[in-house]
Amino acid sequence: MSNGPKVVGFVCDWSVDLVPLMEGGRLREMPSVRIIRVPCSGFVRPSWLEDALGRGADGVFVTGCPYGDCLNREGNYLMRDRVDQLQRRLQRRRVDPARLGMLAYGLHDGPAFLAAVRAFVEGIRALPAAAPPRSAPAAPAPAAAERETP
Amino acid sequence: MSTGAGIAPSPPRSRYGRFMTGVLRGTLKLDVWINKVYPADYNPLYYTGGLSNLFLFILVLSGIFLFFYYEASLVEGFASVQYITLGVPYGGLIRGVHRYAADGFIVAVLLHLFRNWFTDRYLFSRDNPWISGMFLLIFGGFVGFTGYQLVWDERAQVLTAMFVGMLRSLPLIGDWLARVFIGGAGVSDGTLVRALFLHIGPASALYVMLWWHYLRLRHPKIWPPATWVLASVGLVFLLAGVIPATSGQPAAPAGRPASFPMDIFFLIPFWLLNYMSPFAVMVLLGALFTLGFAIPYIARREAPQEMSVRHAGVAQVIDGNCTGCELCFFDCPYNAIAMVPSPAPGLSRAAANRTWLAVVIESRCVECGICIGACPFEALELPKFLERDVQAQVLEAVRA
Amino acid sequence: MRNMYTAGIVLLSGLSLAFALGILYGEATDRWFFGGALVGALLMAYSGIVLLLRKMGIIGPRKAER
Repeated sequence: MSNGPKVVGFVCDWSVDLVPLMEGGRLREMPSVRIIRVPCSGFVRPSWLEDALGRGADGVFVTGCPYGDCLNREGNYLMRDRVDQLQRRLQRRRVDPARLGMLAYGLHDGPAFLAAVRAFVEGIRALPAAAPPRSAPAAPAPAAAERETP
Repeated sequence: MSTGAGIAPSPPRSRYGRFMTGVLRGTLKLDVWINKVYPADYNPLYYTGGLSNLFLFILVLSGIFLFFYYEASLVEGFASVQYITLGVPYGGLIRGVHRYAADGFIVAVLLHLFRNWFTDRYLFSRDNPWISGMFLLIFGGFVGFTGYQLVWDERAQVLTAMFVGMLRSLPLIGDWLARVFIGGAGVSDGTLVRALFLHIGPASALYVMLWWHYLRLRHPKIWPPATWVLASVGLVFLLAGVIPATSGQPAAPAGRPASFPMDIFFLIPFWLLNYMSPFAVMVLLGALFTLGFAIPYIARREAPQEMSVRHAGVAQVIDGNCTGCELCFFDCPYNAIAMVPSPAPGLSRAAANRTWLAVVIESRCVECGICIGACPFEALELPKFLERDVQAQVLEAVRA
Repeated sequence: MRNMYTAGIVLLSGLSLAFALGILYGEATDRWFFGGALVGALLMAYSGIVLLLRKMGIIGPRKAER
């Protein structure tokens, strides 16, 4: 698990079929990638992505259904806009926007999805090391107290 | 809900659930193939609703043209259609356009129906567009049938007799319905006036139902992409020119032809009359549409407890944090969030001076969570998948 | 690939010119069904041109669907 950058992926439950790809919440082929299933890619709040990067993840990506075919009509377009905005914000803070990704793959695109994730991970591996985690959390009672003002 | 470890969902256990999952996979497989040819924003299967609307629009425009020349009477009905076809410049073409656009409409509507059924787009409060869509289908089919009546050739005459027979076979209300349908005890001069009304009236009502159909959609995809507008209109004109729509022999009071040209899109119930009694056909149609209305409630692939994050509960506003910024209101794809004047200031610093408060209209929420992503103030939550649960998973990921 | 798309567009443009001339001919000789069918053929050729332009990336997706 220690080989490879720590990557957190938020994956829409309606997009890629994860059952054959996943094992114990991680991708079988890339155990350093932790998958969090969400009801729609639009469910992901950009501050969670920022938080994950701030807490020591090397990269974060969101996966939705193919563009035009979101089960909830617009979730993936909205999420792509939010990811774009967050990438611009990260750039201003000297964080490489390549650490944040937006993918769109359908139920049958498992291999293409894996290839995209692999490219994403390789891209992060090539980056210079990130700044140390902002706040190393000791207890698993996270963000409740910490308020991000947008 | 178990949020830890992101346990993969177990495949549906029932045979029906497995079958519907197979159908879902097949539907999306078709998309994969079409996306190899078309860019995603030109994929016709993503725009079946828009295509239906386009065909309906063609029908309205060509129908207005035909209405200028049509005369609804037993004597003039057939002759006026013949005049449109042969005498009016491009009249036969427009008649053909009206005819083939109707076929295209039914095909697009059925594609829309099956695609949304097979890909689970009727879940939770999305039953509302489903129900209005079933009404649109029934009315559309009936409008198509009365269109065949208006031509008043032999086929129209037989169809009228068959439909009257089907109506009369119903107990209690049958005779009355038949009377309403043909405008009197038997076929008379009022019949085609009635048929014309039953063609145009329900067709106008389609637009009222479309308003209902779109009511809960924030940005409905009403029109297909440019290439499909051109291709659909072009196909309809090409067919109308190459295979012109024609009438049969004029209707004669004594004529009882044994067969007539079939139309697979609108006249299937009449084909069934070859094998079944009129009452059986009516019962079959009734059962079919009843089942259609029931699909959102009985056709679930998964039981709610099997749905995991897909069934995360109706979004809840956290009153104290809402600043009334309207972001969720703009992003909700189902118009399920309303902004109301704030009754009292919020608790957080950002919410102290708010004028508006977001309210989730629970009967419209489909539990997608898009409003949670839209809200930068932590003022919305899905009750069965809290921000805390997400953060716990993130922490687990970064500490490992 | 791009050359094939360009060739397709040129071909379809030539076809649509022929169809347009056919429409004029149908109109002049009162062959209404002929002219009408060619209106349809012309529109379908246009749809093919639009599709090829889109695939070449010359006309982009609508802004909402970028």
